[in-house]
Amino acid sequence: MELITNLLAGLWDASGFALLTWQNGVMIGVSVVFLYLAIAKKFEPLLLVPIAFGILLANLPGSGIMDDLTLNQAFGGDPATAVEGSHWYDSGVLRIIYAGVKSSIFPCLIFLGVGAMTDFGPLLSNPISLLLGAAAQLGIYVAFIIAILLGFTPQEAAAISIIGGADGPTAIWLTGKLASHLLAPIALAAYSYMALIPLIQPPIMKLLTTKKEREVKMTQLRKVSKTEKIVFPVVVLVLIALILPSVVPLLGMLMLGNLFRECGVVERLSDTAQNALNNIIVILLGVTVGATANGESFLKAQTLGIVALGLTAFIFSTVGGVLLGKVLYIVTKGKINPLIGAAGVSAVPMAARVAQNEGRKYNPTNFLLMHAMGPNVAGVIGSAVAAGFLLLMFQN
Amino acid sequence: MKFSPHFLGIFTNIYGSYDAMDIPKALLVALVGFLTVIAVLAIIALFIKFIAFIFSVIEKKNASKVTPVITPINSTPSVPQTNGVALPDNESQGQLELIGVDEATAAMLMALVSYKTEIPLNRLAFRSIRLVEEENK
Repeated sequence: MELITNLLAGLWDASGFALLTWQNGVMIGVSVVFLYLAIAKKFEPLLLVPIAFGILLANLPGSGIMDDLTLNQAFGGDPATAVEGSHWYDSGVLRIIYAGVKSSIFPCLIFLGVGAMTDFGPLLSNPISLLLGAAAQLGIYVAFIIAILLGFTPQEAAAISIIGGADGPTAIWLTGKLASHLLAPIALAAYSYMALIPLIQPPIMKLLTTKKEREVKMTQLRKVSKTEKIVFPVVVLVLIALILPSVVPLLGMLMLGNLFRECGVVERLSDTAQNALNNIIVILLGVTVGATANGESFLKAQTLGIVALGLTAFIFSTVGGVLLGKVLYIVTKGKINPLIGAAGVSAVPMAARVAQNEGRKYNPTNFLLMHAMGPNVAGVIGSAVAAGFLLLMFQN
Repeated sequence: MKFSPHFLGIFTNIYGSYDAMDIPKALLVALVGFLTVIAVLAIIALFIKFIAFIFSVIEKKNASKVTPVITPINSTPSVPQTNGVALPDNESQGQLELIGVDEATAAMLMALVSYKTEIPLNRLAFRSIRLVEEENK
């Protein structure tokens, strides 16, 4: 009888029920909410489903799926989980895959895919879009100042503030280099806010613009030649690399992907970068980033601060874009719809879609999507430049 | 082999330590950072304007260099000799015979052919445009 009792007690002790903490419970609840938003509300499901499932996996107690058993913590795990004599392949499967995040391989490969999917045509036909993309980085610097005020170190403040760029890979890339211990909350905040753009941006856009401004119909864009599209990624990369060399890993991959797309002689490579490779990296990146949100290390007051700062950054970035849009509306005597300024935050193409949808609400014949794509892709370059500047300023 | 030098952050280089960060310095960093982003993107915008200008000049030069290619179609007598001089952009070559078609319709058809074939109108030679009436079956 005692044997059975001991056996049952042992089974209980080894089960997830005995190991479950309230923090795990909360995070499992968060993952369910994210899954609901992704599946039922269709908020960035391609990102949110893997992230939410990663959160779920990491918070199922006792699985060891994110344990780093190596003594030197090769995969950036918790030293408490190290086991002497362990090989790297004894570590949890998601922890091993996470090396792609720590090493910046995944963010850079995502940029390759983004480049292959991006048509810079709207930007080339309307270069003023670049200024909207620059203005929409305002939130990064506002959040940086507030983070310093709240007592974060300069590196932490820089990593947190980049959430305002609304660019997940850039946020992961910079955080991995400056404040890797904050990777989980920053990546989650960045991707969650990107997913929530349709909820966050419209009230700000409405608040800052008049009905007349929102109804502006923009004129057709000029046709851009194929040669211009081929020259653009090469020359812009060289130009930016000479000004900010630190940004080459990200922008280099972005422009390589774009050259694949535009040169017309490597269609197979372009197709792979856009589809198969990008999808694989999204799965690996999404699940492992989600899996870093372990309840014990994630549920801290500091995380709430990061989430709040991220939202502040996002709001001010939208404000910056819309306000410059209003300035351009005045300068061009009503030819630019200020709503496209909000697309300057780089979440491609979600932010452009929001501008399009808001524009159509006030003028059903309006078609702002292609006009909004200009600031939108400019925002990708802008946030990468902002990240490059912060890295140059605070790298260790 | 020459490796890239490893730089410490500019802030540390200037102030000696990250501990020196305070609000005025944070404001300064934020201002310089924001201006850097605006400046870099403005430079790219100017560069785009520049390459667009270069390409428009090249296109105009190419268009003016075009010499009309006159292909004799069944020893067409109606195609005039242009002596290598390009016709104005809105004119086509040869004498055109309209059969059952008014001038406006003919002009529209010629413009359509030019657009679809991507051959400038002044390089196309139309001999005749005839209305083909289908018999009712």
